[in-house]
Amino acid sequence: MSLTSELRLQATAALQSLAGANPLEGIEQARQLVEQLRDSRQYDLMSSVAEAVSRIDPRDARNRKLYGQALIECGKATAAIDVLEALSARLAPDDPEFGEASGLLGRAYKQIFFDAGDRTTVGARDAFAQAINAYRRPFEANPAANTWHGVNLLALVANGRRFGVVPPTDLDAKQIARTVVAGLEAIEPRQRTSWYLPTLAEAQLGLGDWDAVESTLRQYVAQAEPKAFPLASMLRQFTQIWDVERTPRGAGLVSLLNAALMKLPGGVCEIQISDLQRAQDVQPTPGQLEAVLGQHGAQTYQWWKTGLTRAMSVASIRQRLGSRIGTGFLVRAGDLGLAPADQLVVLTNHHVVNDKGESPGLSPDQVEVVFEAADPGTSYAVEKILWCSEPDVCDACVLRLATTVRDIAPLPIARRLPALGEGAQVYVVGYPGGRDLAFSFQDNELLDHEGPPGGHPQIPGVCRVHYHAPTEGGSSGSPVFNSTLWEVIALHHKGGKTGMPRLNGGTGTYAANEGIWLQSIAEYRKT
Amino acid sequence: MAHVTFVHGIANKPPAEDLLRVWRRALADAAEPLPLGDLGVTTSLVYWADLMYEKPQDDASAEEATGEALLDASGSAEQPQPANAEEAAFIAAVRAKLTALSAAQMTAAELPGTTSGAQGTFERVPLPWFIKKRIMDIFLRDVHHYLFDTEFAPPGRTPVHIQQTIRQRFVDAVCGQSVSRPHIVVSHSMGTVIAYDCLKRVAACANVDGLITIGSPLGLDEIQDKLHPEWTRANGFPRERVAADWINLYDRLDPVCGFDPALANDYRERDTGVVKDIPVENDGAWRHSATKYLRQPAFRRSLRGMLGL
Repeated sequence: MSLTSELRLQATAALQSLAGANPLEGIEQARQLVEQLRDSRQYDLMSSVAEAVSRIDPRDARNRKLYGQALIECGKATAAIDVLEALSARLAPDDPEFGEASGLLGRAYKQIFFDAGDRTTVGARDAFAQAINAYRRPFEANPAANTWHGVNLLALVANGRRFGVVPPTDLDAKQIARTVVAGLEAIEPRQRTSWYLPTLAEAQLGLGDWDAVESTLRQYVAQAEPKAFPLASMLRQFTQIWDVERTPRGAGLVSLLNAALMKLPGGVCEIQISDLQRAQDVQPTPGQLEAVLGQHGAQTYQWWKTGLTRAMSVASIRQRLGSRIGTGFLVRAGDLGLAPADQLVVLTNHHVVNDKGESPGLSPDQVEVVFEAADPGTSYAVEKILWCSEPDVCDACVLRLATTVRDIAPLPIARRLPALGEGAQVYVVGYPGGRDLAFSFQDNELLDHEGPPGGHPQIPGVCRVHYHAPTEGGSSGSPVFNSTLWEVIALHHKGGKTGMPRLNGGTGTYAANEGIWLQSIAEYRKT
Repeated sequence: MAHVTFVHGIANKPPAEDLLRVWRRALADAAEPLPLGDLGVTTSLVYWADLMYEKPQDDASAEEATGEALLDASGSAEQPQPANAEEAAFIAAVRAKLTALSAAQMTAAELPGTTSGAQGTFERVPLPWFIKKRIMDIFLRDVHHYLFDTEFAPPGRTPVHIQQTIRQRFVDAVCGQSVSRPHIVVSHSMGTVIAYDCLKRVAACANVDGLITIGSPLGLDEIQDKLHPEWTRANGFPRERVAADWINLYDRLDPVCGFDPALANDYRERDTGVVKDIPVENDGAWRHSATKYLRQPAFRRSLRGMLGL
């Protein structure tokens, strides 16, 4: 069982224990679990366990701080501020949690500022000022111990003007950066956490020292077990706050770091559709490739570029003149056993498009297909449904488009399902949380499948595939890829954070997404 | 479906799961990738580093690194203490194949390439002598303990018979329920001695479809002599349990296999050379690295062909 699955089980058990007759028995374990859930990015569960611990021990400052962090990660910044301000007010300034709570307050305010549609409003500017204050206090009180406050302060001070706000004039970005670097370098090697190198890289960025930034990130990527979360957080800082992609070197660096991130367990990359083409065109120099990704960087980068190319063949299924209702992808008809074999068709779910327009799907005359990354200006009408299968069987629908698709490649289909039990990963490419304008590449753990050699299909001739439910739900009709070759293994059709019955005779339910093995769809179609 | 059983070689290793992941990644991240998992090929590992070391190597990335990094994780091995004249002769003879320098000379020979006109394979290897000495000590210990079934354990553990224990692990792995056909054994370094010994000489061992050896010391006469009577030069091929091919990859500057790297002449079948020897050139000074062999296009082509992919 993966660590993620194990933690989910532990969290469920802890919640039951804390709600039971002897809640104190399990509270120490629950306290530790809150941090473990944070590290594995399971914020919903993290906030549930933190809430349960708080009910039993409301004076536990560390737990309240973590509760605030969970609320921020769940998008509830104002609720987090209430929790963290109350916590700060009751802690002594020399309490170690005081600085941490203050830093998280800074994060919550920063999030409010960056989420604002118009950052010049009074509310947004106030959030910016509050964020500066919250980071500044602990950093100035103890710069060596509070480097993460320092690096966030640096980012706001160095970039505030680009966002239309003026940082306090008594703060100098370069001086903050130098202080942070000095503070970090003073940390004993054994005391350095997984945040050390990403924080150092950001401080070096504040000094404009690109060679040092690349060298530091090379060290991070080359570690035995680099963590996805710190790298993803740093990438968000680099792109959203520092806007490093303005320069070719910065764009190359971001592209390489996305490649590195997607190779890590738990890696998630969200790319604006409008940026996808640009991301494909970014070409890091060979020197930069090796400087950041190491000796085998060229292969890693080529792998990531292949993933970006595959996204061009993913389409949005839209209600005519309306919004997106699902996802589909381009395949060769022959790969699904249809003729003419070289004709390009779109595969989606029956519950997205079907002949009768059965809810929640629409009939073919009501929809249009748009390859938003490759050709956003062209919408394709559906000429006819070539084949479909009910939601409780293959949940598949093959669409022939009214006009021929040109210059978009069909997705390759994997002949085999990945081997189970080998830390196998799959990638779901789709629209995160139903948002229209971004593609999400999510690395998911392959949990089980009904394919050979050990699978026992419950629906005759149909092999289902289960993979870990991502933080945000994928979209119906998305392709599910194997992890190295970017070949489609399955058609995603449903998912759930809980309640998915296990496959192959397993008892009970779990959190999983479900897809249908494409080869089994092709085989089933022949029956 | 198909299955690959890996067998690792000398020196300390990361935990079994991590090592298997490093090796699979070396195959998958290459220019012509062979992602076994994506292709539905299951894998397992015959792990025996825990019999020689107190705890596993912390840093899995050392597997990809230089000999120096590898040895930092392995520490030093004490020279095996021969129990009798036969063992003493074996150690001396193998040692002589590796280097003509004495231990004192190796310690004194600080500069790379200081050969004093010596004739062993280690003289050709462009590594500092203090590293070469540690490699040699580890190799001699591992090969001696296996072939003479020495009772051994790292500090704090109960000694076990090394050969019997590793043989059992190999047999358990190749007979495991997760194994499907075609089934290929890929072994490296000392692991090639283990794989050959089991496939040729252990009756309980299941049949496999193919064998790949990389960086193998099986060319050394002294090792072959210890594989008697099952091994003979004319009929050394383990046809008893290997249904199809045996492919052997070597780098002439690999210190472990460099003295006699080709095996077709020593493991014949009905006096015919059938082992396919493939020379490769790994990069850097440390040529014995398993992942460097796994990244060789010739290796991936060989394994892909054997798996029928």
